[in-house]
Amino acid sequence: MSEIISQSALRALAAEWIAGGKSVAGPARVKPDLVLYRVLRSGDDLLLEGFQRPSNSIKDFLFPKAEKLYGYKIRGNSIELIENDSPEPAQVIIAARPCDAAALPILDHVFNWDFHDEFYNRRRAATTVVTLACSAHDENCFCTSVGLDPGSDRGSDAILFALGNGQYEVRCATEKGHALFDGKTEKSERTGKAITGPEKRFDAQAVRAFVTTHFEDPFWNEHALTCIGCGTCAFSCPACHCFDIVDAGSAAGNARVKTWDSCQFSTFTAHASGHNPRPAQPARQRQRILHKFAIYPEKFGEILCTGCGNCTRNCPVGLGVLSVATEINHG
Amino acid sequence: MSAAPQFEPKIVAYVCNWCTYLGADLAGTARLEYPPNVRIIRLPCTGRIDFNLIIKALEVGADGVLVSGCHPGDCHYTAGNYHARRRWILFRELLDTLGIDLRRIEFAWISAAEGRKWQQVVTEFTEQTRKLGPYKELYATGAFPDVPAPETASPGAKSFAAESELREVCHKLLSEGTVKVVIGYGARGPVVVTRPEDADRLVWNNRCFSNLTAYLKRKEIKALGKAAVIVKPCDEKSLVELEKEAQFERKDAHVIGMACEGVGQPKCAHCTARTPRFVDVTLGVAAGPEPQSSPSPNRLAALMAMPPVERMAFWSDEFNRCVKCYACRQVCPMCYCERCIVDKNRPMSIDPAPSTKGNFAWHIARAFHLAGRCVGCGECSRACPAGIDLALLNISLHIAAQKNFGYEAGMDPKAEPVIGSYTLHDTEAFIR
Ligand code: SF4
Ligand code: SF4
Ligand code: SF4
Ligand code: SF4
Repeated sequence: MSEIISQSALRALAAEWIAGGKSVAGPARVKPDLVLYRVLRSGDDLLLEGFQRPSNSIKDFLFPKAEKLYGYKIRGNSIELIENDSPEPAQVIIAARPCDAAALPILDHVFNWDFHDEFYNRRRAATTVVTLACSAHDENCFCTSVGLDPGSDRGSDAILFALGNGQYEVRCATEKGHALFDGKTEKSERTGKAITGPEKRFDAQAVRAFVTTHFEDPFWNEHALTCIGCGTCAFSCPACHCFDIVDAGSAAGNARVKTWDSCQFSTFTAHASGHNPRPAQPARQRQRILHKFAIYPEKFGEILCTGCGNCTRNCPVGLGVLSVATEINHG
Repeated sequence: MSAAPQFEPKIVAYVCNWCTYLGADLAGTARLEYPPNVRIIRLPCTGRIDFNLIIKALEVGADGVLVSGCHPGDCHYTAGNYHARRRWILFRELLDTLGIDLRRIEFAWISAAEGRKWQQVVTEFTEQTRKLGPYKELYATGAFPDVPAPETASPGAKSFAAESELREVCHKLLSEGTVKVVIGYGARGPVVVTRPEDADRLVWNNRCFSNLTAYLKRKEIKALGKAAVIVKPCDEKSLVELEKEAQFERKDAHVIGMACEGVGQPKCAHCTARTPRFVDVTLGVAAGPEPQSSPSPNRLAALMAMPPVERMAFWSDEFNRCVKCYACRQVCPMCYCERCIVDKNRPMSIDPAPSTKGNFAWHIARAFHLAGRCVGCGECSRACPAGIDLALLNISLHIAAQKNFGYEAGMDPKAEPVIGSYTLHDTEAFIR
């Protein structure tokens, strides 16, 4: 026996959540060739088919690109601090990809390890993630190379499997998932199945072995010299989590804001003295691979990558984890 | 019960120290009365009135901004106001494209002797602003009609005939030591080839999107020694501009030009030159539709047909998606500053957060710093992961430079760049 829901019922449910005051985010078509996870205005905004995956990731809703930490006002010599303790509204992320949801446990580690990040955790507690198992993969997908697969429910509160004919099987994995779907589904005999994943593209252990032993190696110069040092890979990555804290304000005050940062920026490691321990892009590319395949795994026991392929898909010059890791692997 | 107080506009006046400030002073000593709504901020010269300041005034609550300095010919520093005039001409076009109501910004020449003119300009501008009411439309969101998306063709890879010749030429350049590196296209994107035997990795096909001249600025590339760079005719335009700006010398690089068959990008539909003009060697033959003479004006026309507040809503929607990854800057061959204005924090003139305000500030700075310099290679739009219509802003300034100064970036190596030069008779109709 399984629980199923039709596409129209799913849209109606999303509309119901919105009407009930929840913030609902999911894939939406923004331009003819651009799909992004966005806050949906209606159930009809939700895009369920016809694209591989959004260009951004669901981290936008848990670790937003700009988060106000606190406000401040300056008057003469006195500074007034204004706490930002507004409660986060309940939110549902719907039709997340498995490679997005799987990044949440990765982020959980980071934001609770030596410091409990109240902003992230507050949003996390208020969020329910409904994943949609993949029914296709493209040449940039490589979840299977990092231990996941297109039907993985890691990090999901519920997961949907397309049955065809506009029906989805719903499998709830947590209490939060049940709270959304209980009583909203129908019984059926049909069960869904994700596609079998993309073929393994590289061996993650071999990549780890390579990066930990080839710190100074011509490889980086040869394969990563064309990186232009934008933050596109990190910003569209569901698992990248570096941030900066900036003052967005004027002499009168305003706010202190947490913003995304990226190890690919030249300013990321720039010292006040002018010295930069990672002087050029090859060293920064090495850092990204090293962090994902060695440093993070050493600390938290898993790879800092879910194989979504976004970094490669979005990279203006064709790099990203898939390109670099395959080159490490295949020489 | 008292009547609702009359709206009193707040006006910020940026004035130069040598003329308008003294003009205002004269108005004071001559006891000429004018509305007290104006807050004067004195700067050394109109040439130093950064466009960011104009936006900033509106942002912090001004309902109108007055910018004024010495009459042409009177500049204390000889030519600051001539430079300012050029910038104002282009900046107004950018503001208009963004949907900022031009009636909110007034420009004037007021000399130290013109106390009366100061009185008159301030009085009239204050009254005009009072009639317009409080300025609330800055960064407004809301509904707007569709702007047609740029036409994109993303065909499968199709190799062009000159590919094998290209490999031979590069092999020879490397093995004979003419160059140390070749910056070219590989199967998945740009490649830097240093060994002759690797010349086989080079490709020439309709997926060769990047403008490789952007690599010439990178110090890790420079460190490798003399480079050969492969350029399409559209990319070549950036070399023309870089050379004018003393960022590139022909002897620094061996330029291999590819006659172009098109790479299916929006720019290709409005390509102005399919055969390279100023290169060391040209390979291949140009094919495809006949060159056009200007970038797509019809999308811009759709935008400009909207009232300013809808234009503003369009840009709010676009810019709010910006994540400040700065891919647009990094791919741009003309963005070569070692420290970009957004990376400076003393002073920090651009809010670093990807907030509405910070994003507008970034996009205004990016677009305006490229005014008359952008060569239309389209790389910023292609690179943007948020699909922001950067090309539309660039096109607007391109057309503005063409219309006002007859200047088209990248076309004529002899023509003086628009920004950084001036003529005594640059014309405009908006400065009082
Ligand atoms: S590193 Fe790349 S492939 Fe891995 S999760 Fe991040 S964006 Fe996806
Ligand atoms: S790998 Fe690509 S996306 Fe990442 S910084 Fe380099 S050029 Fe940008
Ligand atoms: S714009 Fe012209 S020169 Fe440039 S890629 Fe397209 S067709 Fe080739
Ligand atoms: S590339 Fe796009 S998202 Fe990135 S900074 Fe530029 S406009 Fe913003």
